[in-house]
Amino acid sequence: MDIIVTLFLLIGLFFFTGGAVGILRFPDFYSRLHPAGKLDTVGLLSAMIALALFNLHHITLGTVLTSIKILLIVVFVFLASPTATHAIVDAGVRAGLAPWTKGQERR
Amino acid sequence: MKVVGLIIALLAGSLLVYATADFPPLGDPNSPASVHVSPRYIEKTMEETDVPNIVTSVLADYRGYDTMFETTVIFCAGVACFLLLRVYRREEPQERLYRHVLTGVTIHVKAGKLPPSPDFERIDSAWTPHDLIIKTICRLLIPFIQLFALYVIAHGHHSPGGGFQGGVMLGASVIVLAMSQDLRTAVRRLREKADALMCATGVFIYAGTGALCLLLGSNFLDYSALAPVLHVDPIMARSHGIFMVEVGVGVAVMGVMIWIYNNVSSMGKYDEGL
Repeated sequence: MDIIVTLFLLIGLFFFTGGAVGILRFPDFYSRLHPAGKLDTVGLLSAMIALALFNLHHITLGTVLTSIKILLIVVFVFLASPTATHAIVDAGVRAGLAPWTKGQERR
Repeated sequence: MKVVGLIIALLAGSLLVYATADFPPLGDPNSPASVHVSPRYIEKTMEETDVPNIVTSVLADYRGYDTMFETTVIFCAGVACFLLLRVYRREEPQERLYRHVLTGVTIHVKAGKLPPSPDFERIDSAWTPHDLIIKTICRLLIPFIQLFALYVIAHGHHSPGGGFQGGVMLGASVIVLAMSQDLRTAVRRLREKADALMCATGVFIYAGTGALCLLLGSNFLDYSALAPVLHVDPIMARSHGIFMVEVGVGVAVMGVMIWIYNNVSSMGKYDEGL
């Protein structure tokens, strides 16, 4: 069980690291939002699955309930995070921020 | 004048820094707080108040005065925001924007006139697009946010949480409604007067619980006096008293959050906001 938990945590950490590097490295506002939105999907999913499994060391009603609550976090983040990214991009377009194209310097 | 201000600020700052030298070092086991105060709460909280979460019992029972005036400070912040920002100008904007609900056609309507058919809805002058995704997701999430806020308020006895946190969540749920639809929809759901009354009611519930203890022949905010009213023993009455106070804090914080948001986002006009 511990091996599975560690594996999931490592997958989550890998995606979170990649996303953080992406936020720092991408050239402009819209492309930086891309890794920021991606972080919350696979990274959070695998990290939360790891925590939920780690909590199930012995199966009682209490630990199962806690694990379900941890997985509910994923459900709400999956709903809220893409919506927030969508709203931010929408606001950027309406404020007149042009997307970055190849050859321009990074902003 | 600026130089005098700078000198005063520097003097006050250096006095404060000088005073910190008298503090016990961080985490010192021999400091007065760790010798007398903390062990007393850690050992006696469960048998005196029947609340497993020591933070809650210290916050709302042992230091009830402190929390009562914290709530009052929040209430004052809301009132100050209202007094500074709210304007009751009756002058209407030159023209308003209306959008046809089905086709998305946006028209300008001169002041004092109505849109040509009831299929038009008023929109903000910042040309807000009709955003189905954001509206639907917010409509889906708001009930769960509010349910979780009530859980946080009621579960403050056993886990991290309580009136302040739950109240902020309740306020945020209404603010999310105002941001995803528009300010007018949120104000239609929770009128300005109802909101202001809610702020005052929260503080009144807190102070009223204290005054009730006084009327029942005990000290102000000594909840064990509520035992005959609640039909429980005095220790359980302290636990219930903490809950009553937390509800008051939650109501006050929720009202103030919404009040401040409405005033700031619409610059006191309650007409167009985010």
